[in-house]
Amino acid sequence: MNRILRTATIAIALLAAAPLAASAENVRMPVLVPITGILALEGTSQRNGAVMALDEKPGGVEAGYDVTDTAASPETAVNALERALAQPNVVAVAASIFGPQMLAMMPIAAERKVPLVTISGTAKITEMGNAYVFRFFPTDAVVKVAQARYVVEELKKTRVALVYQTTAYGQSGQAHLMDNFKRLGAQIVFEEGLAPAVKDMAPVLAKLKAANPDVIVLQLHSGPTALFVKQAAASAANLPIVAGSAMHQPSTAALLEPAELKGVCAESGSSPISGGSPAMEKFTAAYRAKFNAEPDAFAVAQYDGTRMVLDAIGKGARSASKVRDALATGSYEGLAMTYKSDGTGNMAHDAVIVCYNGSSRVPTIVKRYAAR
Amino acid sequence: MSVTSAPSQPAFRAAHAPWIAGAALLALYAAFMGDLYGLRLLTQAGVYALLVIGYQFVFGHAGAFSLAQGAFFGLGAYVTGILGTKFGWGFLATFPLSVLLPAAFALLIAAPVLRLETHYFALATLGLAQVALIGAVNWESLTGGANGLVGVPRVTLFGARLVTGWPLLLFVWSLVAVGGLLAWRLTRGMKGLAYHTLRERPLAAASVGLDGGMLRATAFVLSAAYGGAAGALHATTLGVLSPEVFDFSIMVACLTMAVVGGRGRIAGAILGAVLLVHLPEWLRGLEQYYLIAYGAALLLVVILAPDGLAGIVDRFWRRGRGRSETLPFIPASTRGAHVGGAALHVENLAKSFGGVAALDGVNLRVAPGEIVGLIGPNGSGKSTLANLITGLYRPDRGRIRLDTTPIETLRPHEIARLGVRRTFQTAELIAGASLIDNIAVAYAATANPSLPHARSRALTVLAEAGLTSRAWEEAAAQPAGVRRLAEVARATVRGPRLLVLDEPSAGLTEDERTTLVRLLRNLASKGAAVLVIDHNVPFLSGLARRLVCLEAGRVIAEGTPGAVLADEAVRRAYLGTAEKKP
Amino acid sequence: MDALTLVQLLLNAAALGAAYALVALGFVLVINATGAVNFAHGDLVMSGGFLSVALAGALPVPGIVLLPLVAALMAILGLALSAAAYLPLRSRPPVAVFISTIAVGVMLQNSANAIFGAAPRGGPPLAGDGALSLGGLTLDRQSAAMIAAAVVLLAATQILLTHTQIGKRMRATAQDPEMARALGVRTGRMIALTFALAAALAGAAGLLLGNRYFVTPAEGGSLMLKAYIAVVIGGWGRIGGAVIGALLIALFESVVAAFLSQPIAEAVLYAVLLIVLFVRPGGILGEVEGRRA
Repeated sequence: MNRILRTATIAIALLAAAPLAASAENVRMPVLVPITGILALEGTSQRNGAVMALDEKPGGVEAGYDVTDTAASPETAVNALERALAQPNVVAVAASIFGPQMLAMMPIAAERKVPLVTISGTAKITEMGNAYVFRFFPTDAVVKVAQARYVVEELKKTRVALVYQTTAYGQSGQAHLMDNFKRLGAQIVFEEGLAPAVKDMAPVLAKLKAANPDVIVLQLHSGPTALFVKQAAASAANLPIVAGSAMHQPSTAALLEPAELKGVCAESGSSPISGGSPAMEKFTAAYRAKFNAEPDAFAVAQYDGTRMVLDAIGKGARSASKVRDALATGSYEGLAMTYKSDGTGNMAHDAVIVCYNGSSRVPTIVKRYAAR
Repeated sequence: MSVTSAPSQPAFRAAHAPWIAGAALLALYAAFMGDLYGLRLLTQAGVYALLVIGYQFVFGHAGAFSLAQGAFFGLGAYVTGILGTKFGWGFLATFPLSVLLPAAFALLIAAPVLRLETHYFALATLGLAQVALIGAVNWESLTGGANGLVGVPRVTLFGARLVTGWPLLLFVWSLVAVGGLLAWRLTRGMKGLAYHTLRERPLAAASVGLDGGMLRATAFVLSAAYGGAAGALHATTLGVLSPEVFDFSIMVACLTMAVVGGRGRIAGAILGAVLLVHLPEWLRGLEQYYLIAYGAALLLVVILAPDGLAGIVDRFWRRGRGRSETLPFIPASTRGAHVGGAALHVENLAKSFGGVAALDGVNLRVAPGEIVGLIGPNGSGKSTLANLITGLYRPDRGRIRLDTTPIETLRPHEIARLGVRRTFQTAELIAGASLIDNIAVAYAATANPSLPHARSRALTVLAEAGLTSRAWEEAAAQPAGVRRLAEVARATVRGPRLLVLDEPSAGLTEDERTTLVRLLRNLASKGAAVLVIDHNVPFLSGLARRLVCLEAGRVIAEGTPGAVLADEAVRRAYLGTAEKKP
Repeated sequence: MDALTLVQLLLNAAALGAAYALVALGFVLVINATGAVNFAHGDLVMSGGFLSVALAGALPVPGIVLLPLVAALMAILGLALSAAAYLPLRSRPPVAVFISTIAVGVMLQNSANAIFGAAPRGGPPLAGDGALSLGGLTLDRQSAAMIAAAVVLLAATQILLTHTQIGKRMRATAQDPEMARALGVRTGRMIALTFALAAALAGAAGLLLGNRYFVTPAEGGSLMLKAYIAVVIGGWGRIGGAVIGALLIALFESVVAAFLSQPIAEAVLYAVLLIVLFVRPGGILGEVEGRRA
């Protein structure tokens, strides 16, 4: 009675959202991701991946959802989570890629015992002993190892110039890269943080060249990565670039001419447009048809994570705690890799390095790294 | 939860009724909407309400367009965040520091930034806020960088941790109530009137002895303290902290809440915060279009509610009610009055602007009880002299004394406090205030000013000026003559020792002119020195015993009206004959 | 750092500063006309960028051909902006216009996000790609075209304001609306035209910036901030000052950042701003008398 009253009240007060009428039997998996603001690009991929899985209703398994924007602040994310949890039968939440938003939502998820399925790379979120966070994208602790190892072991480069973004994504990756390069015996000859609004990369390129590195390692968001690569190509720096995951995104490559991309590599969890398996190719085709956009690894990872939740629901896990248990103990064969928790909620343990050959905007997977 | 629910306050009036009803409605809403989501939003609205109540000091009352309120919010948040996560301090220990540190910082920067005008002030405060943001992002060892700090301690009261939901909501709104009440006490009555005057007519404020710089600095520091308090609450209610607290969007939200709610109003701050926290949530169902709808809604509110939501409530509540103010009977007293008169001595005074001499060696005396008229053609330096005597300009050389006190280096409000009053060429009346309050503000710079006392004195002078029936009417709507007489009434109500009037007769009817003469004679008979600048020579001849004529910055004649008007140099200056330089 | 690199960085600063100058010019025109800050100005630049992306997709012609089209369409948007966010608030304090333009900015940003998506997009080049190499210096065609286009637009605006009947009326409205009205100028119309001109300049800047520096829905705020700083450093209400302020900002971004680090250069820019304000409260060129809103 109380619950019905409460639901009715919300319905009247919010004047919103038709999906609220969902019957009590239907389980729900709300999608809380940043679709506006600075992380809108990655958040939109995340939304698309989750929505794709949920709309597919694999094996007839259905979970109701609505998409709520978490914008750019932890506060908005917490509001979105409280709003989602005010509805009945929430068994899991597809949660933001933005680290500080995850850190703010996690204590609430633990208190209310609802698992968060995310692709945030911030290492810290699985280091806090929170049993309700599940990450389907390889953490910085995995991909940054791959990025550093590729530079040192495959490219045989030892004088690294590191350029990172002064954002959660950039600073978190920068710390891991520094550690890894030190461990691998490479020298950081140049290092600088850039605000996301920076337009002209010439000053940083000038200083970087003066430090005489033999490789450039980037940890920048999509737009700045493209700006950097474009201006580096124009300034005839002729240095190999091993970028962060932003460079694998088709929307980043779309900003550049294929020739500008020659010799540019990136780390990622996967690269759907590079193909590799019939299932992945089918996914890519379906994604293009549904969203009129190119899928990236974020979309795939959130798709895989959402599918694992749906898989668990299909196997009878119709409550949040059962879904959590299934995620914590089970294993799932996804498009990008096989996911299994390492005990702290890290589900993805493989990373890939993709490279562009200079004649196409579709990269090739050149190296796979498995953490274990 | 309401800031107005203080029935024991003597100023409690029917006007507060809608706000008490509103607070009750809000409490009912919270009780009814008792899910954690609804409570979370109301808690957040409380945090912003405190931020905006603070912003009303500097933005609403002092009228300074500060863009630093978001930075004070962030500063308060980081004080609590850093001390809580790095040193394990509890909220009750960090909270006072979160209030004090932003306030101390505001005090430090108040002097240089408050000197700046409008847009410069806005950008200077914005620049400081941006530096704070850059610091929070890049000083990683202290702030945790862009990833921020995790595990900000929750509030613990009497050994119990306040959990999200009702306990936290009540804690936050108790602070809103305390903060609102304090703000109300600090800005009601005469203090509010003083700020209103400062905001609308800074010259008039200085002319009654109000120290604008001090008032603005006080408002700025208070704003910072409230901002810091709100920031601390933000950090503890969220449990995490990241540089987004310094983001310009917080400042924009604060400004929007203040304007949409009602500028300068405590109830407006609360209404604005509650509405603007909920508005995007109500529109969530529109997914990626919800912010477009939010922008449209915001635009509509700004256009349709000129005085904010609080203004709309007022209009509906007060519709059909006249002003029902009854003043308490206050026996005539000399409280706040200046005593006796003072002699003005101006010696060898000179002032030039950009190399052009406006005054060049002027000597002038006005004795206590004497009325002196100052005449001269346009541009002869009459108003410059008035501005020098009242401290608006500093002389290049020469001395000005009030009895024996040199005043040429004092600031306008300091000179006013010595008992010097003036009127301006165009009457400096405060728009948005009644005539009676325009006069009552003369008492704002006295010790423990009381608005009822000041109003009852104002009513007495208004009666002397024949304006009783207009006492409660809006000052800006009055005809020119009434405005001028009201300004004279403001200058005379406290019985000044020296009164300087700049063109008082312009625009007056014959009757009003007679009233003016009577008022000034009456004042002089009590010992005040009166210096009247005017173009109307017949009027001055009838009023003053002595005339002084200025021309091109020099005194060219002085004496009885008859003697001065017969003076050859004066005739030349006015009639512009022959070879006089321009 | 060798001299060649320094000259190269200065060239970059000139190209970037040229585009910023257009942004600041539009911003200051509206300030002069209304006494209010147009918070949506950065979002107008962003809109111009996306408009040129969309037009370039439909019409395969160089950016220089699209420029007048983008400016004309943006002028219409400027008229709409003045009708929605300024004219209803004419008699109200400037802060009301702050909020109304913030609201419009939110709408523009999120419309772009909804229509074009969040991904950065590259605008059309003005006059083809390629670079001119001169003894180790590379001046790419886009940079050269940016500088040239901006100079032409700045000059055209100056001529419009000083040598045409309509421009003189716009200036008269900005200097003394009461007097202008008394002389029979329809001030409301002139202010709407000022908004149109400002939006056209912003749109042109958006097109100029879009190719080399891309365009994203969320970038309006930082562009508005740059215009604000440029206008205050240069002297409130001065058109020439705004251009100098814009070049100074670009100098910090492209040259000073090469000697310090980027975050430090940004912090130093704000420090310079604060020092300018404290030492010369009227801006570098001083303030136009009576223009303090």
